[in-house]
Amino acid sequence: MKNVLIIGRGISGLSCAISCAELGMNVTLLSPYTSERAQSVLAAGGINAVLGTSEDSIESHINDTIKGGCYIAGKNSVKGLCENAPGIVRWLEKIGTVFSREDNEISRRAFGGQSHNRTCYCGASTGKQIVTALTMEARRYEGMGRIKSIIRCDFYSALIKDGKCYGAIVYNEKTGKMEMIRADALVIATGGQNALFGMTTGSQLCDGYAAGRLFMQGVELKNLEFIQYHPTTIQTVHKKMLISEAARGEGGRLYYEDDGNRVYFMEDKYGPNGNLMPRDIVSRCIYDTHRQVYLDVTFLGREKIMNRIPEIYELCQKYYGIDISKTSIPVEPSVHFFMGGIAVKNNHETNITDLFAVGECASIYHGANRLGGNSLLAACYSGRVAAKAINESKAKEEVPDEVFMNDIDVACGIVDKHKASESRFAVKYIRDMLAVNMNNDLGIVRCEEELKKGIEDIEYYLSIADKINFDNTELPYTTYSLKAILVLAKATLVCALGRKESRGAHFRSDYPETDADMAAATIISYDNGNFKVAYDREGRYEN
Amino acid sequence: MRIKILRRSSPEAEPYWQEFSYESKPDQTVAGLLGDLNYMGDLKDVNGKDAPRIIWECSCLQGMCGACAMVINGVPALACETFIRDLQGDTITLEPLKKFPVIRDLMVDRSIINENLLKEDAFIEEYKDSDPKEHDHQYMAGKCLKCGLCLEVCPNYKGSKNFYGAAFANDCYLIATRSDIHKKDIKKSYDDHFAAGCSKSLACVDVCPMKIPTLASMAKLNRLR
Repeated sequence: MKNVLIIGRGISGLSCAISCAELGMNVTLLSPYTSERAQSVLAAGGINAVLGTSEDSIESHINDTIKGGCYIAGKNSVKGLCENAPGIVRWLEKIGTVFSREDNEISRRAFGGQSHNRTCYCGASTGKQIVTALTMEARRYEGMGRIKSIIRCDFYSALIKDGKCYGAIVYNEKTGKMEMIRADALVIATGGQNALFGMTTGSQLCDGYAAGRLFMQGVELKNLEFIQYHPTTIQTVHKKMLISEAARGEGGRLYYEDDGNRVYFMEDKYGPNGNLMPRDIVSRCIYDTHRQVYLDVTFLGREKIMNRIPEIYELCQKYYGIDISKTSIPVEPSVHFFMGGIAVKNNHETNITDLFAVGECASIYHGANRLGGNSLLAACYSGRVAAKAINESKAKEEVPDEVFMNDIDVACGIVDKHKASESRFAVKYIRDMLAVNMNNDLGIVRCEEELKKGIEDIEYYLSIADKINFDNTELPYTTYSLKAILVLAKATLVCALGRKESRGAHFRSDYPETDADMAAATIISYDNGNFKVAYDREGRYEN
Repeated sequence: MRIKILRRSSPEAEPYWQEFSYESKPDQTVAGLLGDLNYMGDLKDVNGKDAPRIIWECSCLQGMCGACAMVINGVPALACETFIRDLQGDTITLEPLKKFPVIRDLMVDRSIINENLLKEDAFIEEYKDSDPKEHDHQYMAGKCLKCGLCLEVCPNYKGSKNFYGAAFANDCYLIATRSDIHKKDIKKSYDDHFAAGCSKSLACVDVCPMKIPTLASMAKLNRLR
């Protein structure tokens, strides 16, 4: 019976754990916190699936996804995603997800870039309702002994030997020690790399460390330059908060004011459905206005607002002090989702045998721009696909623990150094400087000069990161994660510099046109401090 | 203003109070305040003495994950949705939740909530189509953050020997209304570990950040045969 170690217990990690358990494997589900704290609970809008009772078709879902991704997502991978979507949504309901329903069917709403209303939803807390159901289902297998939950544990590194993965080294917060966990397969389900940008719409816990660390261990990354700016967010004193696309799905209109008149710039440019163009286009149009943009839902009326988007009403009232049934919402684009991440094949395996990545940390399906409603789908689907691949994978030769003794010694040394530090210097000071760089140099519009400047700054942070002693009153994870986060940030800028065209969420002011020759995913690899960029024209990963 | 925090360096260590000065920003939340204290410079207490950085749990920072539950001016609440402008006086006191073991400072171990659900086999297994009239209530119950605030304020919850509190009751409701095979067992678990010990203070209903109608869950479970 295979042993699978899964790092992260949001929707993709839970989904993978349940599928592995269903297939008879033993799962260790490891994370710093419980599933209720995962970023998945913030996913408001919905999950895309073509259900049988509409004029929609799976072909149309595939085409919209490929088109939304600007033709660099894999046709076969996207086909698998869309074909399995209806089954996934039905299954989610069967295990207890409380979908909104009307006319005896799961309710669907319009989302950006889609030719039909196919975004199934649970009010405005779809992610949370799915997490609740998956947690309950995972509990069933936990009771049977197939899933073992470990919390207050942080990923440190993968156990890799000769291109194969044998488990991971983790930091156990309870014992204060680094520990080795052997497994037949390792699944990374750690979410996107929010920490690169400081304040985003997502969770503080998603920092990209695992992707950065694995990159330094030889795992290839992909499409890092494609970062989705969600067009409608509000900035509060401590957080950027998402105004779900559901607001525009229900009819919300974007405008700016010019000499006392409202200019509905999206409708002027793209017609009546202009407010629901894909997110990259809407964000860029907002950027181009160089003005404060507003989202108006007042005309829906209080009753419909409270019925269809009550969470948005409450959010704006609580954190912004406005009543959206009376006042328009001042919005701005903010970093929301990472199309890029760990490069995986269609079966979610990386370039390292038995090392898999699922959910937002894996780069697949979304190409240069993700459609709203496809991330929850990809999180559920990717977990299943990885579980199936692990189940079918061939057993590899045994390797004794001694092979990894040097790795664990190095890891223990890092914790010892952290504990011995007398410095008051916080890792956050460098993380904050990094965030300023990333927001300035990798915004909605990029150019070579800014990208090169950003790389230079991050190289400087990297050159000092190992030399500084950091405040040991924080967790060792905070300290040891910094270098890999900086490396990931540099890799992201290098990918953006390399793509000399504009496509989807990557817009270069110095290369504003799309180049047909660049219709391929960026692959970046790391060799002893050197970053190497290539383009996957052969469909080596996703195809 | 003054910020007074009940601190502890480890589960075994003695707790102690430490005070900090803070330039009040009325629109700041307590979560934002903690971020400011920790990183506006090297942390020093009111006497200018070096202080370890304050450990607390946070994730979403917008009232959707339940991580930052703590006791603020004696009232259990989520730090990310408690605004300084709504707090009385010029001192804010912050304490960890008291019904859970402290890990460090304001971070507590709430794993007992899931352990109890696991112990009582709280899952659906075979789903049955539920009454559409239950939909809205199920949606609300499905939003439970497992933040522990309902247990913190409950006069009957004393560390979960037999009485598991409102978080447990709401999950029982979710299962009982959607699973035939577990309905009977979960009802018994509810009777044994909730109904028998609940004195109906309903403090859990008032404190819930998700406004879950626990009283309605109780009424429906009590009616269940």
